[in-house]
Amino acid sequence: MPFVRFIGFSIIRAWQGFWRNAMMSLAATATVILMLVLLSALLIVITGLNSGLEFIESKVAVTAQLEDGLTDAAVATLTREVEAVPGVASVEYVSPAAAMRRLEESYRETGQELDTGGATIRLFASLEISLDDPDASGTVSAELTDDPRVERVLTKQAEYDTLLGIINVIRTVGLVGIGLVGLTVLFMIINTIRIAVYSRANEIEIMRLVGASDSFIRWPFILEGILCGLVGALVTIVLVAVVWDPIQPAMVTIFQMPTAVSARFLTTLSVLLLAVGLGVGALGSWISVRSYLSAAR
Amino acid sequence: MTYPNGKVALADVNVSIQGGDFVFLVGPSGAGKSTFIRLLIREQVPTAGNVRVAGHDLLRMRRGQVPGLRRRIGIVFQDFRLLPNKTVWENVAFALDVTGSPRAIVRQRVPQLLNLVGLHDHAHHLPTQLSGGEQQRTAIARALVHDPAILIADEPTGNLDPVTSWEIIQLLIQINELGTTVLMATHNQEIVNAMRRRVLALEGGQLVRDEAAAAYEREY
Repeated sequence: MPFVRFIGFSIIRAWQGFWRNAMMSLAATATVILMLVLLSALLIVITGLNSGLEFIESKVAVTAQLEDGLTDAAVATLTREVEAVPGVASVEYVSPAAAMRRLEESYRETGQELDTGGATIRLFASLEISLDDPDASGTVSAELTDDPRVERVLTKQAEYDTLLGIINVIRTVGLVGIGLVGLTVLFMIINTIRIAVYSRANEIEIMRLVGASDSFIRWPFILEGILCGLVGALVTIVLVAVVWDPIQPAMVTIFQMPTAVSARFLTTLSVLLLAVGLGVGALGSWISVRSYLSAAR
Repeated sequence: MTYPNGKVALADVNVSIQGGDFVFLVGPSGAGKSTFIRLLIREQVPTAGNVRVAGHDLLRMRRGQVPGLRRRIGIVFQDFRLLPNKTVWENVAFALDVTGSPRAIVRQRVPQLLNLVGLHDHAHHLPTQLSGGEQQRTAIARALVHDPAILIADEPTGNLDPVTSWEIIQLLIQINELGTTVLMATHNQEIVNAMRRRVLALEGGQLVRDEAAAAYEREY
């Protein structure tokens, strides 16, 4: 029961304190929202790009365009040789006719029809090689480049490396940005709670003189900081939930690849936002109250 | 007791106060009265010597034990130190709330104390609606919520007219007769002379007089 009374007392006092110092509390909460919105955007974009990366990895890693005129037996031999190369998962032969059908299909997907202007297009037959390990792309490509049966070797490595580079840049810039905003948020909460503490200096002095323990003095202020973080996190979660559906196709349009993020990630993100919001609020107010109380006996 | 700037606030002060006593602490400004009181409530720790209050050795006391000590000591000040946005009832109840007392205790204890100090009819008044004497009575009620062994009154009549001052003194005598030790710092010569209780006189950080049933003796 004493613990329940302590919790009840602290929550009520934190709530009163939040509204007594409403302007500063709301300003601190707004900065928490700003930080968490940036964090959400970063995580959604990085998760989307990672799923795009996985998509690229899962696609054909190496395409070997074959010389014209290879017999079926020669293609079969080459296929077996390629399958034996370490790192190769599977090999699929795509005939010129099948390649043509794919080309026409891809045009239709964009709402157009392939118009050759009457000319005949002759596409290469090819081997589409899937890899167990994306890093094996270089080895496989080296094996095939000098083979006289192969006209040209195309790999997804460059595309993969470019996307990986973009993800790393976004991650680094995003984390630095969030770190800076996070420091600002921490500073705002420290100041908000410090102002609250100083505005209630008389009350704190009376509490100390009548024998209130440090916990009874400290926790209402810490909970006030946590309240800023909690309100900030809840507002951000609502904002993210509202824009969740519209941003999925927007990301596909922007990045030109399947960057859909599963709805389960929204739950994970919500838990993370709550944890970060509460953590920053608690840390800021704890720093603020600790420095004040350790100065007073 | 020496401050970090080198100023000696109290030196060679050796005092023992028995439970149930009523003692005046007198002396000019800067004599060390406030330091003496701060040492008793462990707002400060002596740089040399020892302080024992209600069976506690304050020098060896851990920080976590200080709230327990302060519940054994009630303290009132010249400027009352009431919370202006709380009523008389709430100001007294506050001291119980912040120490985790159950609501049942609060509902029982607060009216008892308001009756003792004669403020039952003013329970729902704010401090700004009270006279100085009534504010000091509220502060005394708050100081008594934990049924302390010792009541320290630091210039409790300093802001009050003579008639009201005597009412406060009568209340302190009543509290003392109920068994609470009272230590009252004061400049009020008339009260000290009339009461004829033990007087501790400080000057320049030294205890210059410690007499039972004494008078104020000199102008500070």
